[in-house]
Amino acid sequence: MSALTVLAPPGGEFRAPTPDELFNLGPIAGIAWLTKPVLLAILSSILVIGFCWAAFAKPKLVPRGVQNVAEYGYMFVRDQVARPFLGKDADRWMGLLVSVFFLVLVWNIMGVIPFIQFPVASHIAFPFVLALSIYALKIYLGVKHQGGIGYFKNMMFPPGLPKPIYLLLAPIEFLSNMIIAPFTHAVRLFANMFAGHMLLAFFSMVGFWFLFEKLTLPGSTIGLLGVVMTIILTGFEMFIQFLQAFLFAMLAAMYIGGALHAEH
Amino acid sequence: MGLLAEVSGNVTAIGYGLAAIGPGIGVGIIFGQGVQAIARQPEAYGLIRQNMLLGFVLTEALALIGLVAPFIFQAL
Amino acid sequence: MSEQERRPETDGRDFADAMWSVPSYLLAGMAVYGGIGWLLDRWLDMSAFFPIGIVLGLVLAGYAVYRRHGR
Repeated sequence: MSALTVLAPPGGEFRAPTPDELFNLGPIAGIAWLTKPVLLAILSSILVIGFCWAAFAKPKLVPRGVQNVAEYGYMFVRDQVARPFLGKDADRWMGLLVSVFFLVLVWNIMGVIPFIQFPVASHIAFPFVLALSIYALKIYLGVKHQGGIGYFKNMMFPPGLPKPIYLLLAPIEFLSNMIIAPFTHAVRLFANMFAGHMLLAFFSMVGFWFLFEKLTLPGSTIGLLGVVMTIILTGFEMFIQFLQAFLFAMLAAMYIGGALHAEH
Repeated sequence: MGLLAEVSGNVTAIGYGLAAIGPGIGVGIIFGQGVQAIARQPEAYGLIRQNMLLGFVLTEALALIGLVAPFIFQAL
Repeated sequence: MSEQERRPETDGRDFADAMWSVPSYLLAGMAVYGGIGWLLDRWLDMSAFFPIGIVLGLVLAGYAVYRRHGR
C-alpha cells in the first residue's frame, strides 16, 4: 500500500495510474542498469537455481520435502508439455523445458507476492530475449535435422499445391514462421503480464483512494467494490500467471518438436 | 459534484476493445462446442477438427480486421 | 483423416500446432498483402488498395493454414 501513496496525485480528484508510473522504475542505489525488474530477474534466477539444486542435487529414491514438490513440477512439465509435443525425444529436452517453465512461473508469481508486486515479464525485454533464444535453437535444430535447404523448403513450400499458388503463399509462410511466430511467442506473455499488472494497480488504487484518501459515503461503496475486485482479480491473475508460464513452455516445446520432425 | 471520470487518450483503442468482444465470444463458442463435439463423438475427430480450424480462422480474421480498421479509416 | 488408426500422441501435437499458428499466419498475410497495398496506395496516390490488400491477405493466409493443417 505504501507504493500507492506515492502514486496518488496531489489534486483532489481520482486519476487512474498510468503505464509510465507503473512500469518506468528508476535505478536502485545509483547504478544505471539495476532497476527493479532486473533485480527481480536476478532474484528469480537464483531462486530457481537454488530450488532445483535443493531438490535434485542429492536425489533420494523416496522423495521428501523439496524434492517432492520439484518432482511434482517436473512430472507436470513432462506429461503436459514435453510428451505431447516431443514424443520419444521428450526426455532429452526436459532440462530446458523445466528451466523455462519454472523461470517464467517465478517471474510471473513476483507480480502477486506482497511488497514485491512486479511481474518481471511485463517489461518486454525479458520475454523477448527468452523467445529469441528459443527461436535460435529452433532454427539451429531445423537446419541440423532437415538440412539447410530442406528446412526452408518444408517451411515455405508445403507439397500438394498448384505452382502459381506458391508464389502467393510463400511470403506469408516465411513471414509467419520466421518473424511473427517468435514475436507473438514473446508478446503473449508480455501483454498478459502487463495488462494484469495494470488491472490490479487500477483496482487497488480505486480501493485506496475512495477508502483512505477521500472517504465519503457514496465513494465508500466504490472503494469497497474496488477492494473486492482486487481480491477476485488477484486470484484470477495467479491463474493467468500459471497459465502463461505453461503456454510459454508449451510453445517452446512445440517449436522444438516442429524443428526436429518435418511436418507431413 | 464535479467531474467524476473522463476518457482521455486514443479513441481507436476503445474501438478495438469493442471489436474484440464479438470474436472473443465466437472463439469461445467454437472451442467450447468443438471440444464437446469431440467428447461426444471421438470417431468424428477429423471432421470436427477441420471445421473448428475453419471457424477459428474466420473468427480470428474478424478480430484482426478490427485491429487494422483504424488505419483503414484513417486512409479513406 | 487419411489413416485409419488415430495416434493420440501426434494428434494432440498437430491440433495444437494448427491452432497456435493461425494468428501468426493471419498477421503475416495482412502484413504482406496489406503492406503491398499500402505501398501501391502511396505510389498511385489512392486509398483503395490498402483495404483490398488486407482482405486478400487474410483470405490467402486462411487458405494457407487450411491447406497445411486442415486435412
